[in-house]
Amino acid sequence: MTTQETPPSLPAHLDPQTYPRTTHDAAKNIHLTLTYTPLDANTYLSQTSSPAAGANVLFLGTTRDTFEGRSVSQLSYTTYPPLALKTLTEIAEAAVEKHQLLGVSIAHRMGTVPIGEASIAIAVSSGHRAAGWRAGEEILEACKERAEIWKREEFLDGGMEWRANADRDAEGKLKSSEAS
Amino acid sequence: MTTSASTSPLFTIHYFAAASTYTTKNTELLPAPLRLADLFPELERRYPGIREKVLISCAVSLNGGYVDQNEGGDSGLGGEGGVVIGDGDEIAIIPPVSSG
Repeated sequence: MTTQETPPSLPAHLDPQTYPRTTHDAAKNIHLTLTYTPLDANTYLSQTSSPAAGANVLFLGTTRDTFEGRSVSQLSYTTYPPLALKTLTEIAEAAVEKHQLLGVSIAHRMGTVPIGEASIAIAVSSGHRAAGWRAGEEILEACKERAEIWKREEFLDGGMEWRANADRDAEGKLKSSEAS
Repeated sequence: MTTSASTSPLFTIHYFAAASTYTTKNTELLPAPLRLADLFPELERRYPGIREKVLISCAVSLNGGYVDQNEGGDSGLGGEGGVVIGDGDEIAIIPPVSSG
């Protein structure tokens, strides 16, 4: 063959062109977003706003410049959307059910996230504040424990490490012990 | 087994995080069919040491759903039952996650 060798094509889940990947459940007012572009907090707050809501809670997780004393130069995230969107849906649905939420939006940024920018955004709305606060925290902890998203930290000293939020046991199942 | 014929049955396997670092691949095609119970031994054969260093803490998904490698083969050897990875299937190796 005379044609040029084409480089092996990037699997779709690693190709930014196939993003954003979103789902929207209108009945439960659940919005999920996996995107390679910066997260916009106002978007998620407006997705969950409701005239019946007395509380609107927003959490932004931002990238830190150190890990255990080492200087981080850059962080990047990858995901496997077939599993990640399923897991995020389960997390959001469980929170809506448990806390009678009026809306939930979970967004995670992929690819390189410059230090200080948001990698995850969670917005919830509820009738009263207690449910919103609790739900926001529970959703975040569940995402960190379960969502099929991986963070790679590159250090100023040249090292590079994949982070794990929690250890799994030999069967690949999550241990119950809490990560710090 | 050879993969030279273009009609060879193959499955796709995706590697993430530590698994992609160890294999230096994001994805590849492997010969099908393969018993799920034989997946980790096959990967260990291709990437010596990966089982102990990486796979021991990984879960596995088949076509977008988690599967248990020990299912249907309690003895781990020679079980008649158990899941088989077929032509066109998509496997993903899922290391411990780290979102947020």
